[in-house]
Amino acid sequence: MASSDWLDVVGWSESFSSWSMDNVHNILPSSDIDMQMTIPSTWAWQEPITLGPIFNMQSGFASIQPALESFMHATIMCTVVFTTMMLTMLAIPYIERKFIGRLMDRLGATTTLRSLWVGESGVTAGEWWKQLPFGIGVPIGWVVKALNSTWGNSHELETIARVNNRSYHGYWFLLPGFFQAFADFMKFATKEHIVPKNADKVVFEVAPVIILATTVMVFAFVPFGPHIYAANPELSLLFMMAIFGIAPLGVFFAGWASNNKYTLIGGMRSAAQLTAYEIPLLITVLGVAILSGSFNIIEIVDFQMGQDQGNVWNIFLMPLGALLFLVTMIAEVERIPFDMPEAEAELVEGWWTEYGGIRWGLMFAAEYMRSYAACILFALFFLGGWEAPFQHTLSGLPAVGGVFTIVFSLTPGMIWVLLKAWLLFAVFVWIRASLHRVRTDQILEFGWRYLLPLSMLHLVIAVILRLQFWTGEPWELWVPAAVTLVSVGLFVILAIDEDKEALEIQRRPYSTQAVVKASPGSHRSRR
Amino acid sequence: MSYKANTGHPHATPNFRNLVIRPMWMTLKTALRTVPFVGKLSFLKNNYHGKPATMIDATTMLRVGSNHPSVGQSFTPDRETSQVMPFVERPVTVMYPYERLEDLEPWLFVPGNYNGRIGIIWETCTACKACVRACPNDCLHMTSEVRVNVLELAEEEDDNHGYGEELEEGGYAAREKGDYDGIASGFDLVNAHADAPQQYDFAEVIELTGDKATVRWSDGSGIETIDSSTLKPAEQDIVSGQIDIGRCMFCGLCAEACPFESFFMTNEYDGMAEFSREELWMDASRTRVLPAVHQERVDMELAKRAKKEQKKRDRKAARAEA
Repeated sequence: MASSDWLDVVGWSESFSSWSMDNVHNILPSSDIDMQMTIPSTWAWQEPITLGPIFNMQSGFASIQPALESFMHATIMCTVVFTTMMLTMLAIPYIERKFIGRLMDRLGATTTLRSLWVGESGVTAGEWWKQLPFGIGVPIGWVVKALNSTWGNSHELETIARVNNRSYHGYWFLLPGFFQAFADFMKFATKEHIVPKNADKVVFEVAPVIILATTVMVFAFVPFGPHIYAANPELSLLFMMAIFGIAPLGVFFAGWASNNKYTLIGGMRSAAQLTAYEIPLLITVLGVAILSGSFNIIEIVDFQMGQDQGNVWNIFLMPLGALLFLVTMIAEVERIPFDMPEAEAELVEGWWTEYGGIRWGLMFAAEYMRSYAACILFALFFLGGWEAPFQHTLSGLPAVGGVFTIVFSLTPGMIWVLLKAWLLFAVFVWIRASLHRVRTDQILEFGWRYLLPLSMLHLVIAVILRLQFWTGEPWELWVPAAVTLVSVGLFVILAIDEDKEALEIQRRPYSTQAVVKASPGSHRSRR
Repeated sequence: MSYKANTGHPHATPNFRNLVIRPMWMTLKTALRTVPFVGKLSFLKNNYHGKPATMIDATTMLRVGSNHPSVGQSFTPDRETSQVMPFVERPVTVMYPYERLEDLEPWLFVPGNYNGRIGIIWETCTACKACVRACPNDCLHMTSEVRVNVLELAEEEDDNHGYGEELEEGGYAAREKGDYDGIASGFDLVNAHADAPQQYDFAEVIELTGDKATVRWSDGSGIETIDSSTLKPAEQDIVSGQIDIGRCMFCGLCAEACPFESFFMTNEYDGMAEFSREELWMDASRTRVLPAVHQERVDMELAKRAKKEQKKRDRKAARAEA
């Protein structure tokens, strides 16, 4: 049984396509249009020759109507999915900016868009809306003036406090930043496009196309809900993972074509990194597919939810797999701690050093799209996709179960997918704020020596769970409970482990601290 | 992963706990502090913001008295993050040098891999001056002299009696000069502008056989075999060991030269800024290190436990009263 909710965008699109095409079919003339022309017989030919067709527009249209319908449906769904992805992705850089500031003890300043509106210290961007053609900026002027008179800051101290992260952040200290992406886009779109003189120009131009196209294409197979997807082939998991792995090739192209030592090193690192994480990633995903018994993403979600197929999220059955997927996906989307190809501390901007303007902006967007896709995939593979946490337990509660049932049926599944994905991205940001960038040799060693054997172990666990413990019925709860408890226990042991013996060996025979600490006045008291 | 850190600090060992768990907990704590109400929980708060601060050491306190402006101050309070949520606070400033990052957040510090201030275990120093000879910048200065340690020779029941000392081959010996008492009484210690006159003749002990001692006199008068009862044991003592830290370039050659493991580069990075070059001459008390590992931390821990125990007892007593 496939899961379902009321937000049946695919169904709506299908019925709208067929409805509109049916109408087109119906308004076409049903009578035959005779365009035949007969040449009467002469001495040269005995039979009269008939040329030209007899049109029937309705039946002719009927023969291509399925193709047209599916084309229209695909166009609508691609637009819907792309728009959904772009709009919900606004939250991603917002989370990145706001959460990283809190994690790293700095709230930061987002001034770009705000400076168009409020200005700083009473100095605004001027009445820029008057430059817009046909007077379309007039309402913008009203809004800006209203905002300025209500929330604008006029004193220098307020600006300095905001930039230096002092106490004053304005009354709307949360909202500025959410639409920063628009301001960034405007900036990038208006910048000059520069190609380095000695670059391989064709490859230099092709590389961003490869990266961006494959990144957007990943979302064709990523369902936002049970009925919100652009394409749902039988093997969507394989398609998706294959396309996910193309972008590093574009990265390598870009790094090589820029003819710059930093970009080249970045590209090389990307290729080296690829060998370390791609295989463990694919094996991990394979484990998910084995346990769920399907290569279809929607069926994998169905396996985790619903009354019929399953009742346990995969993360409780395969915590190791979830961890591996998280780590390898961070490497795949090249985020800290695995962002060696970019490594702005060493390589300027890594493989995209030479790109500027809208190409840089789009590749940056592609980075975030890939992170976002990784988060959504984690939510789909391990966190039950569009199922609310404990949905069936809560719905089955004796007194309040009915209320929960109503709430869950009113909430479209997309809400849960997005919430889980955003939360996952917050985890990505958390990791970024906490860990340091690893070296090339470290990620290779980590990948080959730890990730690969662990992913094989995960595969074995998945096979055993599928063959020995899965009966086609809902899981008996002791299985996920046992797996989770053992995994958490192992993790805790690993987390608190400290090599006491090594510490003992490395102890120094003397103190590393002087007896007299330097403190104000200490240099005088000795006299 | 096979990397072995040259550090003894438990927070600086590159294991999973220190590389992953601890930094992630730290950043999470920082983020949680900005959350309304949750941020107020005690385990998220630092223990110094807004608390009374001891800004001067006890000795200075005695000198300046309690009217000094530094007395009665407190550390900066946690700061509000916004006017909208004034109940959200966030600590920012570390009040160096009154509080130190390595005390507040020791995991940020990887000790052991740099040369800091010079540290010497004076107890094991033999005044061989190998370090002075090794120093390329001439910043080490050591004065030593052969002398009779009267405290070591004091009577058994004397409070100042040390471990005692005996003549030994290869050591030094001293013989009282002819008018021993006359030399001492003729010297005005208070008003003198010159060194005290020498009351002893010094010699190196070459051989000891029974009551006889063969010595080589330091004044060049040759080798002589005399009664060992006329000799007192003498030793080479360090008169002053000073370091002009303003000249030091922290090369560590002195520590390498030391044959007795008593010369070290510590990890102290401060206390090397003064108002004049003269103040950068560090004497022995500022270069002293303890031979025990992290003696200070052990003491701190013991003090903390004692305080906790005391608190517990107080509470028990209060309960018994009530």
